[in-house]
Amino acid sequence: MKRILSISLLMLVLTAASAALALQASEAPQSRPIPEGSAFPNLKLSGNLSAEQAAYLGLAASDKNPRLSKIKAPFVLLEVFSMYCPHCQREAPAVNELYSLIERRGLAGAIKLAGLGAGNSLAEVEIFRAKYGLLFPLFCDPELTAHQAVGSVGTPYFYLLAKDKKTGAFTVKLSRLGRMDSPEQFLDELAAAAGLPKAGAQ
Amino acid sequence: MKRIVSAPLFVLLCALSLAQAASAAQTAPGADQPASFQQSIYAPGILKPVDSALAVKIGDKAPDFTLPSISGGKVRLSSYQGVKNVVLTFVPAAWTPVCSGQWPGYAIVKDVFDKYDATLVGVTVDNIPTLYSWVTQMGGLWFPVVSDFWPHGATAKAYGLLRSDGMAERALVLIDKQGIIRYIDVHDINTRPDLGVLIEEMKKLK
Repeated sequence: MKRILSISLLMLVLTAASAALALQASEAPQSRPIPEGSAFPNLKLSGNLSAEQAAYLGLAASDKNPRLSKIKAPFVLLEVFSMYCPHCQREAPAVNELYSLIERRGLAGAIKLAGLGAGNSLAEVEIFRAKYGLLFPLFCDPELTAHQAVGSVGTPYFYLLAKDKKTGAFTVKLSRLGRMDSPEQFLDELAAAAGLPKAGAQ
Repeated sequence: MKRIVSAPLFVLLCALSLAQAASAAQTAPGADQPASFQQSIYAPGILKPVDSALAVKIGDKAPDFTLPSISGGKVRLSSYQGVKNVVLTFVPAAWTPVCSGQWPGYAIVKDVFDKYDATLVGVTVDNIPTLYSWVTQMGGLWFPVVSDFWPHGATAKAYGLLRSDGMAERALVLIDKQGIIRYIDVHDINTRPDLGVLIEEMKKLK
């Protein structure tokens, strides 16, 4: 009995320790994430997208403040980040790899990737892009308006959003704080949440 | 029973130590913070945005100072004259939320400052052991960090950036290679200055 108790406690302790290691994020005390299954706010986005980046999201390049609902894609993975967040700095290459992996798996038409720089000016977002050679579109949010609308979440935070074909509104399919374990595993999670094939053409 | 309880407790301490060590082992200079870093931050609440009166203005010769650095030795402002443009980044205090976000952002932009032949010099009124621990926990920085602890806040006071509670303002002071102040931003202590604005000011030096 004593041995069982000891082993149980040991397992509990090791699980707790590994969980502490797993979550790598800048946590926000005021965080109130939007739960999975809930409607996502129709954010007013702000950025200086290239023609290629705008086309990737199905947006007009001339529209500097498009609404989220204007994005033409069945699913959008929105990363809430900050150039001042060390975890986001470390995560940047992995998110870039995820972008490429989505393409390699033939899911580029289904899942679009975009970043929201919480509290970051346009210049700061562009510094972050240049630093890590990010390929996907980034939006700025200097006054934290969009950040508050999405629950003042910690960073990095990932929302997988599903688009309603009729209304254009987005619903949260997956909501999570912290760095991904690996792009491959995270894409599997995303595909499962979206009901897409797990592995496509690589 | 005592042994049953003490053994798992020992394992708990070991496991948590291991977790911290593993977290620290992942640290890359200037690009990481151990998980425990943020849990150590003190939240001071909302403070009076600005609580001092500037004693310098654009066009003035920057008051010289010699202050101890966390990497050992001393930093003398005038030693940069004719060599590099300098951005003094005063922050109120170590281990506070906005300050603990501001400098890790600067950690990834050395190339931007190199482009404008400039360096940052970080200044707070904390003492060296506190500053050293804080900067080490944030993963290290590429620019010198100096202590304006004693005589307390003397350099901040010379610039008119010492608050009534003994902390410094959150301020940026851009000084050109001739030692002349070219830009001052005494920022709301509760918010982070936009790096883009500072970059625009550095562009004007060329």
